[in-house]
Amino acid sequence: MPSGKLSKVAAVVGVGHSDYVADYARVRAGEKPHDSYGYASQAFRAALCDAGIARNDIDGLIVGPTTSYERLGEVLGLNVRWGGQADAMLSVIEACMAIESGLAEVVALVYGNDQRSAAVSYGGPDAQGAAAFLSYVYHAPWGFTSQGALYAMMFRRYMAMRGMTEAELGEVAVAQRLAASLNPNALMKKRITIEDYLASHYVCEPLHLFDYCLINDGGVALIIAEAGRAKKMSQRAVTIHGVGRCDVNEGATSLEPRLVDFYLPAQQKAAAQVFAMAGVAPSDISALQIYDSFSVHIPLALEGYGYCGVGEAGRFMREHGISLAKGLPVNTSGGHLSESYMQGWNHQVEAVRQVRGECGDRQVPDCRFVHYSSDVAGKAVSIIYGR
Amino acid sequence: MGISQRVITLYDQPMWDSIARGRLELQQCDSCRRFRYPPGPTCPHCLSMDYAWKEVSGRGTILSWVVFHRQYFEDFLPPYNAVAVQIAEGPIVVSNLIGEEPTGSWIGAQVEFVYREHSGRMQHAVRLVESGGGDPPAR
Repeated sequence: MPSGKLSKVAAVVGVGHSDYVADYARVRAGEKPHDSYGYASQAFRAALCDAGIARNDIDGLIVGPTTSYERLGEVLGLNVRWGGQADAMLSVIEACMAIESGLAEVVALVYGNDQRSAAVSYGGPDAQGAAAFLSYVYHAPWGFTSQGALYAMMFRRYMAMRGMTEAELGEVAVAQRLAASLNPNALMKKRITIEDYLASHYVCEPLHLFDYCLINDGGVALIIAEAGRAKKMSQRAVTIHGVGRCDVNEGATSLEPRLVDFYLPAQQKAAAQVFAMAGVAPSDISALQIYDSFSVHIPLALEGYGYCGVGEAGRFMREHGISLAKGLPVNTSGGHLSESYMQGWNHQVEAVRQVRGECGDRQVPDCRFVHYSSDVAGKAVSIIYGR
Repeated sequence: MGISQRVITLYDQPMWDSIARGRLELQQCDSCRRFRYPPGPTCPHCLSMDYAWKEVSGRGTILSWVVFHRQYFEDFLPPYNAVAVQIAEGPIVVSNLIGEEPTGSWIGAQVEFVYREHSGRMQHAVRLVESGGGDPPAR
């Protein structure tokens, strides 16, 4: 069971990111504003500035999966005493572990990705991600490709087993677009309705265009410091109250965890850890950030993390609500569907800004705790941020 | 855009050789007798590395299905389907349903494997053997 050892050992003292909107326009006009290292550099400079600290204060570095660890450290001029490479959610946990163990005190987490201008493909003959996830390429001989198709296959069965409809899933895209319409950093600000959602074309049926994330260039960085130092560094430090993780690997390529139980056991175990470590319950959470490469992640997380009963996500989204206008606010920046597809990194920034109370028109009132969750390919990871 | 490609590791080759002969052979664990897919060096259930290649019954149940409306490969023109089939021996295998399609939900439909040439290689597809039949219990 969770030891709670990582609770409140570290806090986020700075966040930064590239200009998603301006770069999206430039890339669509045929320009190449930066490569992954350039976006990462912009984000790092912004995070340092936000934290109000000097580069020399940093003694740990974690880089995202899309850049070389050494080269990004070289570009940023960072010699450190501890470092590594991880995705957004695991890098936050690893930073807490390094700080708790004394291997580092102030860790920079830096990500840059030029996926749109570099024309990275997530389906077809050159589908990205094969080295990490065999399921992304193994079924290609039957035309079964793209991560969207994996979630379409999962959602089709989920609809039948749990009694959910396409219109209920549409609540996700509609709610997140409402949030994006209030976020100056969001790429897709035009509000949509359930009717717009249902009228949009299928990409891989039963998933519609609006169920898919954006593909854009950008960079994100966070500075995480030991809790005591964080308090001295910043009045606005956002504490990491708990973390949780459970990975399902067995049967992953043959899609068993997707089709048999929809990742539920992994999410329930990660939820038990994170809530126990943070000493809070779902009812204490002011806003929820969920990794949303596809809208399907949202009902899975609502059930898996205990925000509604198993089989109730459709009704919960439709009746209780998951938007800034009604119910439990989910993906208050617009998420990957409507703000920016920064592979979980922009969700951490939004969580921090919501707790700080800096979100303007999209601010969740009296925001005390923000819960982040992801379940990419059945790897459930959870983080609770708070004051 | 290119044509779809197989992933053929050391352990996949005998399976594809069997498909080329118009049958599907998978590894059966010598110790716990379970079948596994995709092919691999150990039994994920008991960690035994001893196995034999066995022809499967070729019968299964559709767990889920999708229809592609976007083209990803030169050799797959939309719309086309993909199905996840739980074979009688246990593993879940992705294939394509050819011939008659179920009316309404495809989930629970009973299918059998057939073999056909596609882009210069032999591979499996499935076709309906009867309608309905219910869904197998979750394992």
